[in-house]
Amino acid sequence: MINGWKDICAFCLAAILGLSPLGCNVVRITLNRPITPADVAFIVPGHTTLADVVANLGAPDSITDSDTGLVATYRFLDLKYSRVNLGWLAKPWTPVDPDLIFSRTGLGVDAFEVLCDPQWVVVHQGFHRHLYRHPFHPYPFLQSRGSTDHKLPPFNGPAIMPSHGRGTIRSSDSSLQ
Amino acid sequence: MKLPHCLVCFLAVASLLQSCAFSRGTLGDELQTDVIKTIQKGTTTKEELLHLLGAPDRLLALNGRDVFQYYRYDAKAGSLLLIALNFTRLSIKSDDLFVILDRDGVVEEVISSRRTEDLKFRFWPFGD
Repeated sequence: MINGWKDICAFCLAAILGLSPLGCNVVRITLNRPITPADVAFIVPGHTTLADVVANLGAPDSITDSDTGLVATYRFLDLKYSRVNLGWLAKPWTPVDPDLIFSRTGLGVDAFEVLCDPQWVVVHQGFHRHLYRHPFHPYPFLQSRGSTDHKLPPFNGPAIMPSHGRGTIRSSDSSLQ
Repeated sequence: MKLPHCLVCFLAVASLLQSCAFSRGTLGDELQTDVIKTIQKGTTTKEELLHLLGAPDRLLALNGRDVFQYYRYDAKAGSLLLIALNFTRLSIKSDDLFVILDRDGVVEEVISSRRTEDLKFRFWPFGD
């Protein structure tokens, strides 16, 4: 039995809290496993070879030619999508099917590139987009922090970085040239 | 366990499983590890490679050498569909094989890795 405004408020609050998860969709799509910069910290330009990189990170997703050697690219993706239909809150009390949808998608596409000279020695390495682990905000009107050069967070919170299984390269003393 | 308990357990499991979805997709042929092991550097020729693995998925030119790339993608998706609250997680991984041939058409390097072996169905979209 409902007695007074206090109980009505408590009932409304309980109903809102109970129904708030309704109409929610959370989707996540990942391509390859995330790793931290510590996983690629072993790469020392001028010393580390592509064989070492492959032994730790696995085979790259692509190898392309360049004027100074080759570029091995590890691609990865961490897509997050959320959708909340607040219209579900009104469903029990209205004959119509109302929709009030808040939705947001974060693509999280990045790549780790290794530039090697013709002797397979790493010359440069780096991440393509510098995506760091910003919190994903389902609320669509909140501004995401950009990863501009002067706003980059400290190098301790990687967002989406690839971790590929260990691979093999049958390296030899012979170079590509 | 008594019959009512068994029925309750069955109904609980059935009610949980009916809201689950498992999906899987693959692209490309499986890269056989034992076949890859038969590729010998400095010995295996382009013709033998084509006989072993077939035509490559991608043919690249690298410093005047041919690179045969073979790949296979595996995707597993798990969904928890509770009508009003849905969780979905799709994980994709790939196996890649690069075979670098010298100017004489003989295998010079073999780069390979298998990532799909530890690919699992996952439902929970949060965390790593």
